[in-house]
Amino acid sequence: MTVVLAALLGSLFAFGTFLLLRRDLVAVIWGTAIVSQGANLYLLTMGGFVEASFDAVPVLATHGGEAPQTTDPVVQALVLTAIVISFGMTAFALVMTYRVYEEHNTLDVFELGGDR
Amino acid sequence: MVADHLVIAPLLVPLVTATVALLTRRWPAVRTGTALFGGVVYAATVAAVVWSVVLAPDAPGAVAYQLGGHAAPFGITLVVDALSAFMLVLTAAIAVPALVFSQRYLRREDQDVFYYPLYHFLLLGITGSFLTGDLFNLFVWFEVMLMASYVLISFYGGPKHTRATLWFLVLNIVGSAVMLVAIGGLYATTGTLNMADMAQQLADPAASGVPVAPVVGLSGLLFAVFALKAGLVPFHFWVPSAYTAAPMPATALLAGGSKKVGVYAIVRLYFTVFSEATVPVSLPGASGDSPLAFLGPVLLVMAIASIAVGGAGAIQAGSLEGVFAYSSIGQVGFIGVAVAVAAVAPDAAARNLALLAALVFALHHTLTKGMLFLVAGTVRSATGTSRLADLGGLAGRYPVVSGTFFVGALSLVGIPPLSGFVGKFLVFDTALRGEALAGGVALLVGSVLTIAYATRAWTVAFWGDRSTAVHHGGRDSVQVAILVVLALAVVGVGVGFEGVYRFADAAATAATDTDAYVEVVLPDGGGSS
Repeated sequence: MTVVLAALLGSLFAFGTFLLLRRDLVAVIWGTAIVSQGANLYLLTMGGFVEASFDAVPVLATHGGEAPQTTDPVVQALVLTAIVISFGMTAFALVMTYRVYEEHNTLDVFELGGDR
Repeated sequence: MVADHLVIAPLLVPLVTATVALLTRRWPAVRTGTALFGGVVYAATVAAVVWSVVLAPDAPGAVAYQLGGHAAPFGITLVVDALSAFMLVLTAAIAVPALVFSQRYLRREDQDVFYYPLYHFLLLGITGSFLTGDLFNLFVWFEVMLMASYVLISFYGGPKHTRATLWFLVLNIVGSAVMLVAIGGLYATTGTLNMADMAQQLADPAASGVPVAPVVGLSGLLFAVFALKAGLVPFHFWVPSAYTAAPMPATALLAGGSKKVGVYAIVRLYFTVFSEATVPVSLPGASGDSPLAFLGPVLLVMAIASIAVGGAGAIQAGSLEGVFAYSSIGQVGFIGVAVAVAAVAPDAAARNLALLAALVFALHHTLTKGMLFLVAGTVRSATGTSRLADLGGLAGRYPVVSGTFFVGALSLVGIPPLSGFVGKFLVFDTALRGEALAGGVALLVGSVLTIAYATRAWTVAFWGDRSTAVHHGGRDSVQVAILVVLALAVVGVGVGFEGVYRFADAAATAATDTDAYVEVVLPDGGGSS
């Protein structure tokens, strides 16, 4: 399970980075969305994936207290917040892309240029 | 007891103001009145918090507010200590004048487009970042701040503005993902998100079984994100386009407040949270055994590069706000040099002194650069342009505005008795004491560059033949009055430095005193057995 997730996370980040470096602006926005989702999934794995027991859960392991068969609720709360934020950002980024297309008539990053 | 509950007030005021301004948008007079009143109340609340927590004779020095009565480390905690209080004062000092300025600067139809709610949400995000005692909430407040800044940067909706927003947006989405990775990793290693609890776990890793080595790498990721927020080289690309695209009063708050959040987060995390950790691995090119030893050299290199890039950029910039935006990169470099020296300081006294220098310089930068962006705004609303090529002879036409620019430019250069002098003096002193020779040389070069670009802006825009734009311009007396008030504040910080020094000293002490911070947030030792 851990190996599969590690591989999945690695490929998500790799693919996201690949898209971020594309010339096409829509691909760049897809890249940010995939990287954010990768970060969200990564956050979820930080709760630990070993057989559900208390010492797999960071908040319980370092603060003592035995609890049988537990999954970490903290990472789930965190990832919920992070998902909401990253969806909002992606939506806004897509709207901005459309607006940039309207303003500049191009979605090519090179043609858009930097600060001038 | 009252002080305890007062801590949450600086958050509630902009939140309520933004909401009310949003609801009353159909009645412009009510909305604008609410927004301005909210700004004044914000300043008053910050003053009250600072007085009751830090400055009053029997003040506790630091107060933690456990939201909903859920005790740290499991609940959400707000912490005000001298460092947060100092940053709050700095924010309020520019936020309120800039808010009043907005009312005179923005066209009516622009003010109708949710300007005030956005401004107050930006203020809310900045305040939240300073107050939170919890790493994940720091991320959330960063996002609140960023969302407001995205819209403020794209506010005018022209080609230049949408492009600036898009770059800023993409950079920050990637930055946020990196920050999440770092926070998740820190949670997995230390088992906590509460900064005081984390400091406690890291200080005594044997007791809690926390592996310290990964923390160094994760803190490096966090550092990159904070450097992006602070606009340090090589994460500075967004600064010039974003600062010139946003409405000038919003830029004043972005440069004065948002930028300092990055600096604050570096100081808070490295000096309060990570400083007690001893790393079992030897770091290449660093002496000492705490994450600070790694921060020092890296930050020094980045700060030196910032000074060079900022100075060089400001010399070739084409508009008044362009000059100030690039100058902002350079000035953050000055703060960075002081923080870097503090990180590798051999003893507590030297570390305090270096941090104090960084904080005083941050205050100077907020006041001076905030004022200068407003000067650019005044010039723009008087003459319709701020392009250096279209300006000339402002000094004869607008003596008072030119006078405030002159004060600001002298303060940037570092002439006594202005705020820039004390800031620059302390940073130089720090670099020499810390034997950071490269830092000292960079500061010197940076100062020469400052003189060069300030002189260029002055001679091109304010002296010389009166251009047609300047000749036909009018001016707004309220805008000028705000500039005068800020110029007086810049002088006041330099003249009344005694009091500022004591406050900054308390802030620097609070930043380095991990035990006191932990004691306030976790009075009974927290949840660890």
